[in-house]
Amino acid sequence: MFNQIKDLAGGEIYLITSLLMFMVFFVIVGVYLLKLSKKHIEVMSEIPLQENQPNTHEED
Amino acid sequence: MQLEKFTYDNKIVRNFGIATLVWGIIGMTVGLLAAMQLFKPAMNMGSQYTTFGRIRPLHTNAVIFAFVGNAIFMGVYYSLQRLLKTRMFSDVLSKIHFWGWQLIILSAVITLPLGFTTSHEYAELEWPIDIAITIIWVVFGVNMFGTIFKRRERHLYVAIWFYIATFVTIAVLHIVNSFELPISFMKSYYVYAGVQDALVQWWYGHNAVAFFLTTPYLGMMYYFLPKMAGRPVYSYKLSILHFWSLIFIYIWAGPHHLLYTSLPGWAQSLGVAFSIMLIAPSWGGMINGLLTLRGAWDKVREDVTLKFMVVALTAYGMATFEGPLLSLKQINGVAHFTDWIVAHVHVGALGWNGFLTFGVLYWLIPRIYKTELYSKKLAGFHFWIGTLGILFYAVPMYWAGFTQGLMWKEFTPEGLLKYPNFLATTLQIIPMHILRSIGGALYLIGVIAMTYNLAKTMLGAKLLANEPAEAMPLTKIIVETSPADKAWHRVLERKPMKFMVLSLIIILIGGMVEMMPTFTIQSNVPTIASVKPYSALELQGRDLYIREGCVNCHSQTVRPFRSETERYGEYSKAGEFVYDHPFLWGSKRTGPDLHRIGGKYSDAWHYNHLVDPVSMSPGSIMPPYAWLIEQKLDITTTASKIRAMQTLGVPYPDGYDKRANDDLKVQAEKIALDLKQNNIKVKSDREIIAIIAYLQRLGTDIKANKETIPSNQ
Repeated sequence: MFNQIKDLAGGEIYLITSLLMFMVFFVIVGVYLLKLSKKHIEVMSEIPLQENQPNTHEED
Repeated sequence: MQLEKFTYDNKIVRNFGIATLVWGIIGMTVGLLAAMQLFKPAMNMGSQYTTFGRIRPLHTNAVIFAFVGNAIFMGVYYSLQRLLKTRMFSDVLSKIHFWGWQLIILSAVITLPLGFTTSHEYAELEWPIDIAITIIWVVFGVNMFGTIFKRRERHLYVAIWFYIATFVTIAVLHIVNSFELPISFMKSYYVYAGVQDALVQWWYGHNAVAFFLTTPYLGMMYYFLPKMAGRPVYSYKLSILHFWSLIFIYIWAGPHHLLYTSLPGWAQSLGVAFSIMLIAPSWGGMINGLLTLRGAWDKVREDVTLKFMVVALTAYGMATFEGPLLSLKQINGVAHFTDWIVAHVHVGALGWNGFLTFGVLYWLIPRIYKTELYSKKLAGFHFWIGTLGILFYAVPMYWAGFTQGLMWKEFTPEGLLKYPNFLATTLQIIPMHILRSIGGALYLIGVIAMTYNLAKTMLGAKLLANEPAEAMPLTKIIVETSPADKAWHRVLERKPMKFMVLSLIIILIGGMVEMMPTFTIQSNVPTIASVKPYSALELQGRDLYIREGCVNCHSQTVRPFRSETERYGEYSKAGEFVYDHPFLWGSKRTGPDLHRIGGKYSDAWHYNHLVDPVSMSPGSIMPPYAWLIEQKLDITTTASKIRAMQTLGVPYPDGYDKRANDDLKVQAEKIALDLKQNNIKVKSDREIIAIIAYLQRLGTDIKANKETIPSNQ
């Protein structure tokens, strides 16, 4: 299995970059989630429930 | 600012709903027929248009693109308008979308039984229909984005992100997996060959599951479940994580469909790693759904729609737990090609897609008709018979899968295969197949009961075609924002185009990383000197093999297990498939693998076996192919087929298209003569001659000259 990874003739870069991108991606999403404001989350999750009323909320 | 009055378009929602019901019944009935064909070959009805090989793709296409497809559009058209507080962008586009989609399905219903197929699973429709799908999909996209642009709600709720990801990814998948070179009105060759074609197909196939059967349904779950339960989703943060990680990881997992094949090992490993990671977002989504019902379980007891949702989410959880397990090489080695996979797929299809659709239909139809459901009791009956149906379907199929998978691998103490005759393993699981079709029938009865119930509901009331609503218009300028407001996602939620582009980039990464090396690095597909292009007759025979849908029951890839090399012969090498446009590795072994069938039996054996399988293999469940001796082989297409292959890089000599039919006739005469010596009288211009030629060629190139195989194979 690993022999085939070794014999890529320059193709290893694909594997390494994909792993890096994967890590970076999750760090970004993680940081973003930690920074989200509670109020915004509340407003967003209420959207489906208040469709038949006029949109009175203006959180920003 | 003045409140604006407008209306929601309920008629288009209703129409997609009715289409869901009608195609659901048709698709499942065809599925039941196919299931019965597997234990009673007479159910193939002796006609070429109704054999399992042609009916099975009809079933899969009908349930995926007709039943689920229409259900998606029903759910999207209902929820999108309400989440964005606006009517759909264009009623005309909605109508074109609706009728265009139904016409596409109708063309599938006609062309698949006729044998027009590309052979790529879930992408069998030929090139003119592929173009129609592209056009209608764009119509859907324009209509969706038009609606998003004229919205009265600034933020895009998470359900809409799932819809956007669905639109953009299905577009990419469909286009990449439809690169075909047309040779006539309803026949084309894929531009990819062998291993590369396999990789593209299963990148597509796996992600069709992800972005047609999963993401739009998750969007619907995030909208309809809070509506039904009367409370917001358990964790909106989790839904964000769910969305981004799901679309990022899913796209990589395709190669788990090709474990132990000649796909480069590193691509297989990548597929396995990402498949295992996939459990995290999938279960995150399931838990988010189930926890939305926290404190509302009393409602679940009374409300049938919620019951359907709970089973749907549970089935989603089971299928997405099993998926990563099946992608582990050790488990895959036993499960792949068996009924285990069929069970796995149907837990997802019947449980997740089916039950969520039913839940939404029961909730939505009475609402747009401003009435009550005709019979809650009948809906309760549907729930129980449907659940029972799933159990009766899945349990026997798991049993059959374990049994057959282990029988294939069993050796005697002397080191010989315990069941050298493949048919013995097929006959062993016939009772399980009978039970499975009972499960399917129960499930179908439930769907018919639902259709009756909903029809009665609709007939007893009047559709509120244009539902009045009101909302404040969006202000164009956003006043001074707080620093926290600059969070990139909040900006993205307001900018749908940027959102789409970002989703697109994310889903392209995985596909490109896997495909580019396989396509560009020579060492990934080592060539074998003795592998030569098919002769003209073999090429025609191969197209008949495709037409008859043989690939639905027979694989053409021998895995490197002793149990397989003992049974079939040398394991398959990447270099053997370089002229295979398309690849025909298959995904299920209802019958034995055929990659090394060439030269194993005589021409006469193949002739008798094709015309009357039980005469050669008593008890065989393969349908007879008697029409192959009646129908003349169409050799007018030979020249264009050879030219198409040349365009795709197959090294036929220059000008061979003109001479090909001469060679074809010589080879056909030779086979007819061989048959004659065995007391079989058949004209050399019949289709059966071509298919025998192809079968006798299969896998023989390296038999002739083993030392031509490169050392790294």
